[in-house]
Amino acid sequence: MFYIKSDHLSEHSLFDRKITGLGLFLALFFCFFPNLVSAATSLKVAHLHELAIEKSLWNELQWKNLLHYELDGWSNSHYISEVDDSRFFNALDGKNNPKSELLSTITALYNKDDLGDMHPQCRFTARLKWLQEQFPGEMNDVPNVTCKEYEKWRQLIPSHRVTLIFPAYHLNSPSSMFGHTLLRIDDAEEKHGSHWLSAAVNFGANVRSDDNSLFYAFKGLSGGYPGFFIVESYFKKIQEYNQTEKRDIWEYPLNFTPEESNRMVEHLWELKEIEFDYFFFDENCSYRLLELLEVARPGIDLTSSYGLSVIPVDTIRSIEEAGLITDSYYRPSQVTVLENLLKQIKPENWHYIRRLSNDPSILSSDEFSQIVDTEQKLIIRAAYKYLRYKKTGEPRDDKSATISFKLLTALSAVNAEDIEQPPHRPLRPEKGHYTKRASFNLGKENEANYAEMGMRFSFHSLDDNQHGFLQGAQINIGSILFRAVEDESVELQQLDLIDIFSLTPRTELFDPLSWRVYTGLERQLTSGNYRLVAHVTGGAGVAYQPFDDAITYALIMARLERNRGFERAIEPALGLNIGMLYHFTSSTIRIELSGEEFAGDEYRHRAIYSQNFALSQNHSFKITATREEQKDIDFSEINASYQYYFF
Amino acid sequence: MKKLVAGTILMVASSSAFAVAPGGPDCGWGNMLFEGDSGIGQHFLASSTNGTSGNATFGMTTGTNGCSANGTLTYGGKSLIGSIMNEFSQDVAMGNGEALNAVAVMMGVAPEDRETFAKVTHENFAILFPSENVTAAEVMASLEDVMRADSRLSKYVG
Repeated sequence: MFYIKSDHLSEHSLFDRKITGLGLFLALFFCFFPNLVSAATSLKVAHLHELAIEKSLWNELQWKNLLHYELDGWSNSHYISEVDDSRFFNALDGKNNPKSELLSTITALYNKDDLGDMHPQCRFTARLKWLQEQFPGEMNDVPNVTCKEYEKWRQLIPSHRVTLIFPAYHLNSPSSMFGHTLLRIDDAEEKHGSHWLSAAVNFGANVRSDDNSLFYAFKGLSGGYPGFFIVESYFKKIQEYNQTEKRDIWEYPLNFTPEESNRMVEHLWELKEIEFDYFFFDENCSYRLLELLEVARPGIDLTSSYGLSVIPVDTIRSIEEAGLITDSYYRPSQVTVLENLLKQIKPENWHYIRRLSNDPSILSSDEFSQIVDTEQKLIIRAAYKYLRYKKTGEPRDDKSATISFKLLTALSAVNAEDIEQPPHRPLRPEKGHYTKRASFNLGKENEANYAEMGMRFSFHSLDDNQHGFLQGAQINIGSILFRAVEDESVELQQLDLIDIFSLTPRTELFDPLSWRVYTGLERQLTSGNYRLVAHVTGGAGVAYQPFDDAITYALIMARLERNRGFERAIEPALGLNIGMLYHFTSSTIRIELSGEEFAGDEYRHRAIYSQNFALSQNHSFKITATREEQKDIDFSEINASYQYYFF
Repeated sequence: MKKLVAGTILMVASSSAFAVAPGGPDCGWGNMLFEGDSGIGQHFLASSTNGTSGNATFGMTTGTNGCSANGTLTYGGKSLIGSIMNEFSQDVAMGNGEALNAVAVMMGVAPEDRETFAKVTHENFAILFPSENVTAAEVMASLEDVMRADSRLSKYVG
């Protein structure tokens, strides 16, 4: 097979200098290589090049969108494509030369028509269409190529509407703590009518299944994974997120016209199996999807405002600000559905759920048949769902298959009205507070007044307003706090690298572990002096929900502390952390008793009361009162804080 | 697309002999009830990290994931019912749901007949799902029979 693209296009500098002579040059060139394209074609290509140069077409925004050109971060003067795959370019220097790539693309589209699916017309469907639009009537004479694979693909892929999909937070897997975004392409409603059959478009790293999560995080940060676009049936994503991972899904239809949606699909094909570098924080799943949306509707700017990190929920905000979102739908996970079902069953009947999932013969017992039939239906459904939930991800076994089948048969036979109410729809995630936080505090500790300034880079604390977030899930990555005490200079008070606190209440059906891990530097009063200590602290325990909007918890903690005030270089400690969170509509109270006993004879015992008042989405006021007891000293602290959230 | 997929699936279903599952043994037709999701576990990490293990795929395109590349023979390389049989059986037991609707759409059932489809399949739960060992291919064949016996749905099964 012969690729014209790189051969004579390495001569592209000629196009710049002497356009009029170019046709002659090419004509002579092809005299010696008669099996390439005809002289007429090469004259036509030269003519188009001339037009393109006249219009400086490579400076058009959509050309940059289609080739994923971004200004080079260092020089800020020339463009470089974020695609890291030579198959994506027609010019040898296409990755960093928009002009040469454009001219080479025109030439390549006129390649002889014997390349079939490998013909540039079949590979670069969106570029072809865009160029044809730029030269009205001029490019209808491209060789007639049949793109079988592309046409087959287009028959399977809908292209009428685009919906943004946000599988919400999932704390117990570090890499999806921040949520995720993908796109769904739907057919026209009247034609199709099932989103399950829509296409899901996902950008992801090509993770090997033997990489563990930590390794993923490291490689993801350093760009060690190539990223690809992946297209599959949407029901597979529902199975993956709603069922296997227990994540609620939010769906936001966008107001793209069918023409715009179609443009995106044409470009998507160009990205098939094309490799991008994948960086967990910035060039991640969410960022790439924004680029696809920019292709669909040239002129919207969704990507330029991002700096160091792109958190998925922030991309929803950009898309909403650009006026693209028309509506929102909530698709609760299996766990949410089951928990909600449980709430509708009388507590005295809860015991049937576990029992039925072990022994369906109870269905025909006298005691069960005395229950009202509508309630029976709820119980059987809950038992069935509970059993399937427990078996998620496990290989099929005969016993549970037999029980599942009996429950399902019983469910189909209950002749009662379905009184199940769908789960309550929470506040949309993008309506929650923004993900960066600045705080300004005044306080008094151990009789000394102080002022503090703090900054948190992401994401959510237990005592921030919980609306839009996963209740009981704290993720703080990178927060720093400076304190100025009267008559002293400003000093670092606290630096948290990471602080994750996962409180998942145990219920009748689920008994998850709650846990906390945090590490960093903090100033501690030790034998009369304030010292900056380094520590790693973690623990695990249980949480319960005694009533709606309240969580109580108890954790056993372990700590390693590097403190110059201690005898040993690194001092281990054991501790306890018992507390309660209560969420009002716009206020959160936290009461906590905690303490640690070190291997030496040092100890710290604390009682904390804090209350946060959300003034609006991104402003809050918080007061904290602490009483701490140590071997040689007792002291109090009060703190008033104003907090501003932004992104 | 609807016509195409439904048409070919019907063709497959009518060809009665299921001795060899169409598209090959990994194609989903041989899946038993409560089996469809067993493969998800091992991909847990990959999926939770927004990635994919193995081939980067354009999914619905090639139809070669474990199926003989007969293109339109199956839905996106796997039979739809084989992939969503658990959800489908649950929806049939309840008489409504999105998996049930997806199957109706795949079968080419027009919007005005989908309620009938839901009702008829629900009433025939025991025929569609006679045991926990029923396979997707058998469910498909029974579904056709059930639809053929209904005056409104028979037109969708030629």
